[in-house]
Amino acid sequence: MSSFVKNLTNGIVRSNPTFILLLGLCPTLAVSTSLDNAVGMTGAVLFVLLTANVIVSLLRRWIPNRVRIPTFIVIIATLVTIVDLALQGFAWSLSQSLGMYIPLIVVNCIILGRAEAFASRNNVRQSVADAIGMSIGFGVAILLISLVRQLLGTGSLEVFSIRLFSVPGLADNPASIFLLPMGAFFVIGILLALFRWMGVSECE
Amino acid sequence: MARKRSAAYPIVFLTLVVLFSVVALTLVNEVTEERIAANKREAIKQMLAALFPEMADFTQDEESGLYSLFDASAVVTDEETGETSVLSGSLPIGYAFMTDGRGYGGKIGILVGLEVDRAVRGIRIISHQETPGLGAKITQLSFLDQFAGLSTGELAIRRDGGAVDAITGATISSRAVAEGVVQGIVDMTAALEAVGEEGP
Repeated sequence: MSSFVKNLTNGIVRSNPTFILLLGLCPTLAVSTSLDNAVGMTGAVLFVLLTANVIVSLLRRWIPNRVRIPTFIVIIATLVTIVDLALQGFAWSLSQSLGMYIPLIVVNCIILGRAEAFASRNNVRQSVADAIGMSIGFGVAILLISLVRQLLGTGSLEVFSIRLFSVPGLADNPASIFLLPMGAFFVIGILLALFRWMGVSECE
Repeated sequence: MARKRSAAYPIVFLTLVVLFSVVALTLVNEVTEERIAANKREAIKQMLAALFPEMADFTQDEESGLYSLFDASAVVTDEETGETSVLSGSLPIGYAFMTDGRGYGGKIGILVGLEVDRAVRGIRIISHQETPGLGAKITQLSFLDQFAGLSTGELAIRRDGGAVDAITGATISSRAVAEGVVQGIVDMTAALEAVGEEGP
């Protein structure tokens, strides 16, 4: 049990995929403009990472070492396509709001990285723990980045069209630079420095 | 991994994985294809209804993609299946088409509705990747409603000599919408003339 918990919490702080492993930064930078996006992306990553980890872990004894990466990619791409089609067929409105993030998951190196570094070497149970932990870690990171970017970039906080609060003064004249790509780099750089300064730098 | 295997094993394995993937995707596609098509049609219908509330059903010209819209008097419902269809020879109450503008963040998908006399009924933004808080304001009705009733000559932002007020700080996005609408009308000229000939 303890190793299950250890693998689960590992992804959240000690091996946080975004802040420590620096995996999947491309989609993180691209979609962290609002909290809605962050929530959608986290849900999609959780589902694909979990299923990919389980399948890779189940097949790990039969996957030939030389073609393991193509195998992982085929598995991940198949899963993502199935999710995409299923959402379009059975949950149209959800697929419309998640639309662009689903294909983005194929290029999210967190999935491929965890298949290679973890699921192909550990049993299903541990791989499930790793997938959940990594997804939470990714979710916390992208939510943090989105929170800062949305707050400074629009001057208010809005989640699924519900306005939580707006900052007086900033709302009329928001620092839109934080919504642009350079703002993403500023925010992620400062958050990275903050994490390192707090001593969270132990790598696997 | 230490077990000895034939040199052909990786090839056989990867082929099997791909075959399995193809089978799985074919099955999923088989199950979802019709539902996705129906969902898409329903979504288009709702978008069109936002511009033409009196619309009951629509047809689409396959070649140009031009939608012809019909009100309830032109629509019959099949009593058994519940499916609706448009009576042949009915007169449309308007037209609509999809076009796109080249925005700051990529393509902006625009739905344009035209009156029977070809004046703009209204426009809606269907898809875009403009900057939230800046260019993304092109989806606001205060911007979009300006396009209603404009003729081709007025379809430009003020800086370009038109009648549309651009969004502050988002000139590129605003201009992209206006230019996309004009380009769409130009692209649809032939199709619009063709439907006109069938009319009165």
